[in-house]
Order: sequence, then C-alpha cells, then structure tokens
Amino acid sequence: MATKLPKRNVVIIGGGLTAALVARQLTAKGVDVLVLERGGDHRGSAAQKIPNQRDELRWGVHNNLVQDWAVETFSLRHSRKDRSLPVRRMEAFLPGEGMGGAGNHWNGQSWRWSEYDPTLRTRLETRYGKNAIPAEMTIQDWGVTYAELEPYHDLFERLFGISGKAGNIKGVIQAGGNPFEAPRSREYPQPPLEMTEAGVIFSAAAEKLGYKPFPMAAANSPAAYTNPDGMKLAPCQYCGHCERFICEANAKGTPQVLLYPMLLQRKGFELRLHSHVLDISYDRKAKRATGVRYLDLQTAEEYEQPAEVVVVAAFPMASTRLLLQARIGEPYDPRTGKGVVGRNFCYQLMSHTPAFYEDRWINPFLASGSSQTVIDEFNGDNFDHQGLGFFGGGYIYANVTNGRPIGSRLVPPGTPRWGTKWKQADADWYAHAFQYSVHGSNYPHRENYLDLDPDYRDAYGQPLLRMTYNFRDNDYRMSEYVTKKAHEVAIASGATLVSPPNPRRGDFDARQYQTTHVTGGTIMGADPKTSVVSPHLQHWDAQNLFVVGASVYAHNSGYNPTGPLAALALRLGDDLAGYIERPRRLS
Amino acid sequence: MATTTLSRRIFLKQVAASSGALAVGAGTVVSPAAAADAAPASPAPAPEVAAGYESLSPAEAAFVEALVNVMCPADNLTPNGVDCGLADYIDRQLAGAFGRGDRLYRQGPWRSGKPQLGYQLPLTPEQFFKTGVATAQAACTARLNKHFEDLSPEDANAFLLEVAAGKVDDARVPLAQWFNELVYPLFTQACFADPMYGGNRGKVFWKLIGYPGLPAFHTKNMVEFRGKPFPGALDPKSIQDFS
Repeated sequence: MATKLPKRNVVIIGGGLTAALVARQLTAKGVDVLVLERGGDHRGSAAQKIPNQRDELRWGVHNNLVQDWAVETFSLRHSRKDRSLPVRRMEAFLPGEGMGGAGNHWNGQSWRWSEYDPTLRTRLETRYGKNAIPAEMTIQDWGVTYAELEPYHDLFERLFGISGKAGNIKGVIQAGGNPFEAPRSREYPQPPLEMTEAGVIFSAAAEKLGYKPFPMAAANSPAAYTNPDGMKLAPCQYCGHCERFICEANAKGTPQVLLYPMLLQRKGFELRLHSHVLDISYDRKAKRATGVRYLDLQTAEEYEQPAEVVVVAAFPMASTRLLLQARIGEPYDPRTGKGVVGRNFCYQLMSHTPAFYEDRWINPFLASGSSQTVIDEFNGDNFDHQGLGFFGGGYIYANVTNGRPIGSRLVPPGTPRWGTKWKQADADWYAHAFQYSVHGSNYPHRENYLDLDPDYRDAYGQPLLRMTYNFRDNDYRMSEYVTKKAHEVAIASGATLVSPPNPRRGDFDARQYQTTHVTGGTIMGADPKTSVVSPHLQHWDAQNLFVVGASVYAHNSGYNPTGPLAALALRLGDDLAGYIERPRRLS
Repeated sequence: MATTTLSRRIFLKQVAASSGALAVGAGTVVSPAAAADAAPASPAPAPEVAAGYESLSPAEAAFVEALVNVMCPADNLTPNGVDCGLADYIDRQLAGAFGRGDRLYRQGPWRSGKPQLGYQLPLTPEQFFKTGVATAQAACTARLNKHFEDLSPEDANAFLLEVAAGKVDDARVPLAQWFNELVYPLFTQACFADPMYGGNRGKVFWKLIGYPGLPAFHTKNMVEFRGKPFPGALDPKSIQDFS
C-alpha cells in the first residue's frame, strides 16, 4: 500500500534539463515545485572528479552514467510482423540518470532548429506541392512557430552561456555564421570555442567548394561566464571528456552546474532523488491527473504524491511509457493510423567518412564536445529536394570531440583488426585523422512507433516500452546523398587518404551508438486526433497534465535536439504560472 | 567548494610539472611510430595488478594467453600481449562486474533473434566467454589436430581470422558473435583502457599512439599545439599518476 503524502502544487516527473527549466520559471513566480528523479546527485562523485572522471572504460565504454539496463530497458523489433526482444545492453542511445539527467553527459552541441522546422509539412507542401510528401511519412506541423519560441531560445542561450557565431540576426545574414540559421534577436552570449586543426582543414576544403563553414554553437564555455541567475561556468579545458562524461571543470553548461544548485536554494523548490515514478494517477471521469505513484529506491517504500498539476519531463521513452501505462490518451495503431500515444517515434542517422593526413597533426584529444566546424548546406530543407526522392538532410562537420583511445582511433580501410600492422596503423594515424560526419534527420514513418511490450517487464514488474522501428527508404536515400557531399569535402581537403563514402545501410542496430536523440511518442500539435499534447504542451484529455521534452517533437531534424526542448520548457514554465493562477485550457 | 579548488590546484601542479619536464624534448618530437621503428620496444614494465588469475582456469588461461600474444605479438612496437597485461585485463573483467552481467538486462523469456537486437543468450559475459573458449578450442583441435596454444603464430592468426569471419561453425555456440562482440572489444579495451585495469601495462599503448592520458590542456595548449606535435603525448599520465 502506497503512503499518501500531502498534496503539492506542481509535481514534475524526471529531474533533467526540462524539469529544471520549468521549475526555474515557476519558482521565480512563487509557485512551489516538486521534482521526482530516479537517480542521485553526481556532484563530487568519482564521475565528476579527477582522476576517475577521465576513465574511458568506466564512463565511455561501460556507460556507468546512463540508465541501468539490468533494471529497465526497451524491447525492439524492426517490423510489427516480428517478435520483439529486449535490448539487453542498449548502445544506440543513452538516457541519463541522476539530477540533471542526460543533460549532464551531453557533448554540448547547441542548435536552434530551422525556422521552418515547426511548420515542416506546410513548408514542404508549399515548396514541392500538396502530394509531394508520401502518405507513410507522417510529417505534421507542431502547432507552434519558431518566432514564438525565439525569446525562449535567447533566454536558454544566456542561461547556458552558449558560445557561437550568429549567422542571421533579425534577418540580416552575418559573415562567419550559419547563413541558414533561423533569425535570432542578437549575437550568442559567448564567442566561439577555439577551432581544432580538423576545423582548419575542413573550413578550407568547404570554402573551396563554395560552402559557408561556421563554428558549432556550444554549451562548453570558452571563458569564465556568469549567467543571469549568477550561476558560473569555468573555461573549457579542451580535455575531450564531454559526451558520456560529467565535466570535472564545471565548464559544460549542464542542469547540474547551472540550474539545480540555484533551484535548491529557492523557496518552494524540492528535489526528491532516488524516487522512481511508477505511474500517473488518473481520474478517468474527471479527466484529471490526480498525482503520481512512486517508489523510494533507498527504502522500497511506495508513495502516492497528489498534485494540482503533473508535468511529465522524462526522457522521451519514459514519458511515452508513463502515458501508455496510465492509459491516458489513445495508443497509436499503425494499422489504422489512428490513436496518438507512441506516434512519430524517430531517431537519427549518422554516417562517417574518415580522412587521413600524413603531414597534419589533428591531435584529437585537444577538443571539446562541440569545438567543431560545420556546414549546413545539406540539412533539412536548406537545399532543393526536387527529383531527389527523399526529404530531410543533415549537417556535415569535422567530427573531433575527443581522442579517447578505446573508441576514437581511426585506421585506413583494409587495415587488419589486430597484429603488428594494426598497431602500426594506430601509431601512424591516431593523431593524423578525423571524420567528415553527417548528422542526419529522421522523418516519421507510419510504421515506426512505440507501445508496451506484451512479454518483457522491468525490475519493478512493469511492461517494457517496445520500439517498432527501422530505417526507411527515405532515410537511406538521404544518407546516401549527404554522405556523398561529405565525401566530396574530404576529397577537396587534399587528404593523404579518404575512406570511401559509407552511408547508413542496413537495419536499425541497437549495438551501435549514433546519437541519443530519440524523439516523438507524445507529440504536440494543433489537432487532438494526431497529437498527444496541445501547442502549449497541455494534454488534450487531461487539462492539468503537461508533457515536455523531445517526446513532443513531431519529427526529428538533422540538428541536435536540446535547443528547442529547452525553449519549450521555459515557455511551459511561464504558461504554467498562468495556468496555476487560472486553470483552463491554454490557447 | 574548498575541495574542488584544492583538487584542481593539485591537478594543475601535476600538469605543470609534467609539461615542464617535457618541454625540454619538445623541439625534437618525432612520431611515436618512427621512434618505434628505430629500436625494439623496451622490456615489459612491472604488472599493475597482482599476479594470478581470478576467473580463468589453467586451460582457459593457456588459450587466452596464446590469443593475446597472437593479436598483440612482441615486435618493435610493444611487448607481447601477456607482457602488456592483456590477459590480466580480460581475466579481471570476466571476474568482475562486467563478467557477471552488470548493467545487462537478464530477464526471460530467452529467445534468439536478429543480430541487430543485440546479445540474447542467458549466459553472463563470463560464462559466454568461457563457452566460446571451450568451443573454439574444440573446433581448433578438430580442424588442426592441435590445441590453439600449440599452433604456430601464423596458424593461430589464420584460425582467429576464420573465427571472426564466421567460417568456424558450431551448431550451438555462435563463435563469430563470441569473437566479434565479446573477445575483440575486450582485446581493444585491454590495450587502451587505463592501466589500473591490468592491461596497457606501463601505458605502452598510449605511448605507442601518442595519447596523453588524463591531463587537461587549456585553451593555451589548444592554440599553441594546434597542428603541431603535442609534447604531453610522449609521457602519458594515468589515473595512478594522479591518485
């Protein structure tokens, strides 16, 4: 029997980035917030302190900062005709655990998406005709515009001290920035990180081909920075331990450094760690979320936490599972295309072209997670897709984030996998190679979706979330096209040796990391028939239930997802303050 | 905050000390590979874990020692695999949390499936490793009439290539998966993980490729050594050096 606790105003499920941003806005207006997080506080732990912070095996290979798959994993099948099996050790993407969530172990790559992304269907239909989008490609507008989110993007960038070079300020294209950038109200709060040697080589080659290279926007601070809340970042050490790691120098913008320490000082904010939410309590008649049921992982006591407002702010997989389990909203059915929960589940497609330079010192260990140089000519709808047979694209970049030696050695194609020749190739090329990578989009497909697994359960006895997911023809064609463009840049760079183009082929593979950017499952939209939450992230059925995070994205672009979800979370915080004052359907 | 500042100060001091020592040789940095060509690899340094195997039986140890010596032969780049600590590393991993299936979802029902769905056997990694060793040994004996550890280096290498390519069939044990998804990752980890785990003895592989290990670099180094040999790569620092 769960112990019933006193009612709280706002309860947020999941203590990651979006929860902290919602809480920042709410507590500033005197609304009390309780955040429930399954993990602990990593500050001061081996993960955050020299020397163990630099342990590639522990954090980078065994992934000890991410979700424990022994406790909870996801099942997978490539088609609904197949039987699903549990992914017993997930490598493809890495949900976080602990205060700050996956926001602690990210690389810091900070994008705003294209101005047209929230209205992608309209954009493609306008440009290519009403019938251009294939029926099975379930792209839909998000019900929000970039212009509505711009002030929140701006706020997030100030809070996280994002470094970069503006490409478009109020519609005026800026030299040195991304000419395809959505118009921003002002320059980034911090200048770009130092360019790597790979960036120098990449820029010259890209310019030779007429492209416009620019520095990736980064949450890795180029200098000491104090944000508008008085929270501080130290300068980046360029140590190459960002993604999968917690920054020991407090130089990476993360919720653990910039948000939770500040929130924990605020009146009305409470964070309960080691609290695993089992279910959302739902009054079906009243159509209200009445609270949540959670397990204290340190005592095995179960609690019922009543709330006026429940915000689901977990990793996309967990947010979707909670709604399916609580049976709030109609589950998506791929046979009819009806139903909403689990719909438009997307991932991303990476591809890599290694290039080798006998006379250049790339020194891959001299890097941060975002000190990268990029071109955006072949991303999204930045280029004409007429006659190409696919939609979407990706950014192309000099991909050097680290030189961690277990995972980041490049050897020329044809090198044996072991023996003296293998060792010699490692010795010859480790410091002299980098990849021309493509960070590619993944548009939704009618047959890619999430539901509850009929057979497999987690350590708490609850059904695993099941992915029915595979790459589709659109994805393969996109990867083929953009990877070829990346290969052309590598060739133009005058490398000693360039690997052949290696676009993404084959079935989705749970054994291979590509990105942690899964999206969809509880998507937002203007039509309750095709979305779980409204453009204000309010559940269409339960007025006092809100969902925030990448699970509300109706498609996945070729950009990293943090920017828009941070903007949406800040806006939700403001919306909720108004809702608390006067509960209603937000419009 | 006091502890953060303190540990950072110690860290910076150590980095400064190591950079200072290296600056002397900075003008004459050569590629580690070129250096390796010039002279045989220095004798193996002392092991960083205690002697003796925790998990491997004598027969399994003989197989694993032969395997790491084939995959990492003694040459002018490194000592042999055993002397680099690679068998020690594999043994410790199998005996520890990884081998027991830490962070691995181990609930049934157990069913086989497409490779892209990942590992599906009810065995812990330690059990799978040992099952594979026994199966590979049996296949080797059946094919070549010799134990794996008694093969010539050339024959042993050829046998491993066949296993990796899926050409050594066994009706029950997926040997190619065993080699490619368990043995091979353990081998590369043994070479390149921090020496405190038993492999990469004396940071031999870090020195070979020029990975500087733990030190932070700071913007100054980032700019000064952009496109140039980095002196710290000649004298890598491990976790033990900062403990």
